[in-house]
Amino acid sequence: MIFGVRHSVAVATALGTLAAVIIAVFTWKGAQVTSETFLVTTYIGLFLGALWAMYATGLVVVYTTTGVFNFAQGAIGVFAAFFYWELHVNRGWHSILALFVVVGLFAPALGVVLDIVIMRRLRTASLVVQLMVTVAIMVLLLSVVGDIWEADTARRVPYLFGINNGIDLGPSQLPWHRLIVFVVAIAIAVAMRYLLRRTRIGTAMRAVVDNRELAALNGARPNVVSSTSWALGSMLGALGGILIAPELGLDPATLNNVVIIAFAAAAFGALKNLPMAVIGAMLIGLLRAHTVAWLDFGSDFRFAHLSIAPLLLLFVVIALPQARLEVGRLVHHLRRHERFTKWWEGLIGCGVIILLAVAFSGGWLDFGIWDPGAWGSRELNSANEAMALALIGLSLVPLIGWAGQINFAPLAFAGFGAFVYLKVIGGGWVTFLGLDRLGLDPQDIRDIDNGYWILLVGLLCAPLGALVALPAARLRGLYLALMTMAFAQAMSLIFFPNPWVMPIIGTGRQFPHIELFGVTFNDRRGFFLLLMCVFAVVVYALVMLRRSRYGRRWMAINDSQAAAATLGVPVVWTKVVVYALSAVIAGIAGVFWATVSGNVDSVQGFDLLIGFNIVLLVAAAGVSIPVAGIFLIFIPLFTGLGHRLEDSGNVDFLVTLLDIMTTYGPGMLVLGMVFNPRGAIFEMGRGFSPILPWRSDARAEIAAENAQKREPEIGELGIERPFTPEEVIAIDRRLGILDEVVPKEGYGAARS
Amino acid sequence: MALLEAEQVVMRFGGVVALDNASVDVDPGEVTGLIGPNGAGKTTLFNVVTGLLPPTSGTVKFDGVDITRAGVSRRSQMGIARTFQKLEAFNTLSAFDNVRVAVEKNHRAKWKHQRVNDVAHEMLGKVGLDDVADVTVGTLPTGSARLVELARALACRPRVLLLDEPSSGLNEEETSSIGQLLLELVADKENDLAVLLVEHDMSFVMGVCARIHVLDFGKIIAVGTPFEVQGNEAVRAAYLGGDEFRGAYAGMDE
Ligand SMILES: Nc1ncnc2c1ncn2[C@@H]1O[C@H](COP(=O)(O)OP(=O)(O)OP(=O)(O)O)[C@@H](O)[C@H]1O
Ligand SMILES: [Mg+2]
Repeated sequence: MIFGVRHSVAVATALGTLAAVIIAVFTWKGAQVTSETFLVTTYIGLFLGALWAMYATGLVVVYTTTGVFNFAQGAIGVFAAFFYWELHVNRGWHSILALFVVVGLFAPALGVVLDIVIMRRLRTASLVVQLMVTVAIMVLLLSVVGDIWEADTARRVPYLFGINNGIDLGPSQLPWHRLIVFVVAIAIAVAMRYLLRRTRIGTAMRAVVDNRELAALNGARPNVVSSTSWALGSMLGALGGILIAPELGLDPATLNNVVIIAFAAAAFGALKNLPMAVIGAMLIGLLRAHTVAWLDFGSDFRFAHLSIAPLLLLFVVIALPQARLEVGRLVHHLRRHERFTKWWEGLIGCGVIILLAVAFSGGWLDFGIWDPGAWGSRELNSANEAMALALIGLSLVPLIGWAGQINFAPLAFAGFGAFVYLKVIGGGWVTFLGLDRLGLDPQDIRDIDNGYWILLVGLLCAPLGALVALPAARLRGLYLALMTMAFAQAMSLIFFPNPWVMPIIGTGRQFPHIELFGVTFNDRRGFFLLLMCVFAVVVYALVMLRRSRYGRRWMAINDSQAAAATLGVPVVWTKVVVYALSAVIAGIAGVFWATVSGNVDSVQGFDLLIGFNIVLLVAAAGVSIPVAGIFLIFIPLFTGLGHRLEDSGNVDFLVTLLDIMTTYGPGMLVLGMVFNPRGAIFEMGRGFSPILPWRSDARAEIAAENAQKREPEIGELGIERPFTPEEVIAIDRRLGILDEVVPKEGYGAARS
Repeated sequence: MALLEAEQVVMRFGGVVALDNASVDVDPGEVTGLIGPNGAGKTTLFNVVTGLLPPTSGTVKFDGVDITRAGVSRRSQMGIARTFQKLEAFNTLSAFDNVRVAVEKNHRAKWKHQRVNDVAHEMLGKVGLDDVADVTVGTLPTGSARLVELARALACRPRVLLLDEPSSGLNEEETSSIGQLLLELVADKENDLAVLLVEHDMSFVMGVCARIHVLDFGKIIAVGTPFEVQGNEAVRAAYLGGDEFRGAYAGMDE
């Protein structure tokens, strides 16, 4: 405690202030600060803050009442803004009517549907599944927006009451729109606070998240409660989207990124404290407005002001107190058999992968459609992209699949790996470090086998992964998700756009062909083989790792962190190590990803949204299974197939179909996780188990489940517990007294 | 001086006072009981002692050292091990692997695979789970999963073992063999083990405990031998309405 403030808070505040002062000193524009300009800047900041507060309020309300953190909050706003544009601008409806239809009718309906179809079922799901599903909804909503309102027309959402009407403030004008936004946002936050704290339904809403069964006994109706909060949250997201669109322009990605600011604001209130979340939003607004007004980052860091929110999130995470390890929260429906791959199975699997690769790329297998002899450069390029992505996907397997920790930044790590590689093989560092005076020639560096450099890249990525995880590893898993997302965002705003990072030089290859063991992989076919071999090796290493003590420990912290800690496992450190490992794999994969095309646009190539898609696809495939990375082949495969079909003419229908699968596939697949949290590959393995002789474990499991499901014998019914409604029906059927009316819940309880 | 001492521990959850100046001490070489009606604060005390909950006030001492602020895994390495009332077994791992996690963390890193496996098998053998070593714990019945937790805790080479209702989910026979095991463990001078046992099964508690602490509404209302505690008026009053003591008396009279 320092002056009655928790240590971590004091440290974070000091660090944050220090960072702000240093940045301000170095980037000061030198513009004159008058009280007028200062005031105008402040009011802009407060207005921006109010908009973000609206999103943050929605997040906090949903989180406190349902326990689900909604990554799709921003996307709901995007959809609503476009819908509003459609009604108001395109169809000419009156703004009030359009606003009512979108915010008052559509948004709550969307919220309720989401709740009934999906969210309710996530109540007992693991954090991984919860987050993946809301991210999937985000991606799906954005895809829908992209398909309905194609990007080729310029759209604007007008200010309510126009930008020119408002209160005269002397030097400038305060438009009604902004005044209304500010008042409405504050009013909503106050109303929500009142609703949650002071009203009966609010108390019920908060009680339900703590203990659903108990709350239900006391008369709360959990389903009504969760539908209400999803409706409210969705309305707030929609309203925020419509009100912010005039300021930011109607661009899905820009509008969606607002959500990261809302995350930082919500985190400022520890995700549950509404007033603090609003204050956090205002703080970010003020920082942003004043940064833009007084500081100049130069063209290399032109997006730096956008990274205020990720930075604030970092300091908030440092400030938060260590989370208690939760007890009594085992995720029970995930308790099915976790099958360990035997070492020889791993070896055979990897051998098969390599043989297939040789067969495919060498043209020894003919499947008709693909006509491998004709695997041209485009197909091979697609295949190579796919394999590189799959390699990046593998980095998620130990992390998400085994340790149960989230990472939304695989591509940021990959990008960092590619960057390090580029700098390292360039040899510029020899002169920079003054090693040339010791007789080292930068030219020598280029002659060294690339394999060593790739390993070095891996080593250098490990500390980065650890560093990103370190502040949040003490906290609940959700913060790690937020931190990695913020990290990815900050990288793509500050780091990758910097021309020094990956300058694109002329038309030549920026990333040279990889040279390994004296072989230069300069044709696509050879590179494909190389990628397959690397993939197989990494898969094998992972399989072995899982069977080792480290793998056991990771799965243990996934099952119960509290128990692991009481057995002496250092939980925080274990998590940090897994992140480091994941960063190593992603970094190495990044080198290959960048080398596929030779020229990566560092902004596009390592984009946050593509990263989301990778995470989603791997998760949908079954993230605990190493070869799940292969699922990523879908992305380039569909595009590659699409190209081919287009070339061959008149199959528009198929092209469209593939297009739809590429855009919606990942999201749709992940929604499947609501029902099969273990992922598609796992379910497929179970499905095929009757014809796979070595999967006796899966057959036994299915048999056990079926035994549970069979219709109960009357003789064994109702001895120690109330009848379930199904049993009541079964009994009534046997006794021949089954009514038309099927008894509802509570019937059995009443009888016993 | 006792091996483990909780002194004047207060634990508040908002308005609920789960522990109210509770003091408990545990000596090696015997099983100490901790009993009390539902919601008395027994599990909360375990959480405070193992570091899962930071107490509102009060201290926890282990071997004379104040460990109130030490982390959970640190305490485990010092020799405090526990089981959980609400199961916290590693459900996706096999029983064998559950134990191996503990063995690997609590024995020297140099240990070869084979030795780790031997110790893990030995621990599973002690609780009688050799048969199901390779079964995923999530598919085991509750009672067996509880025994896995016990084997896991034993694999930590504990100096203090905290057991939260180990007998629930076990049949009479299994319960008595667990009691036997506990008595053997504490009797072995080499182990120098102290056990703190939370139990609702009164005949079990009365049978194995040398001393018993009674907790009611977060307060320690009695400490003594099983005989003293049974005769205590305050204890009778606390349990009034509960069947447990009556059952226990019936068992004792026979
Ligand atoms: N994390 C928590 N938050 C709020 N209240 C809690 C928490 N943990 C325990 N309590 C409360 O503290 C009191 C003591 O609970 P505890 O679980 O320690 O009792 P117990 O003696 O173990 O009971 P039982 O015999 O039922 O296991 C109870 O009133 C319980 O509701
Ligand atoms: Mg208890």
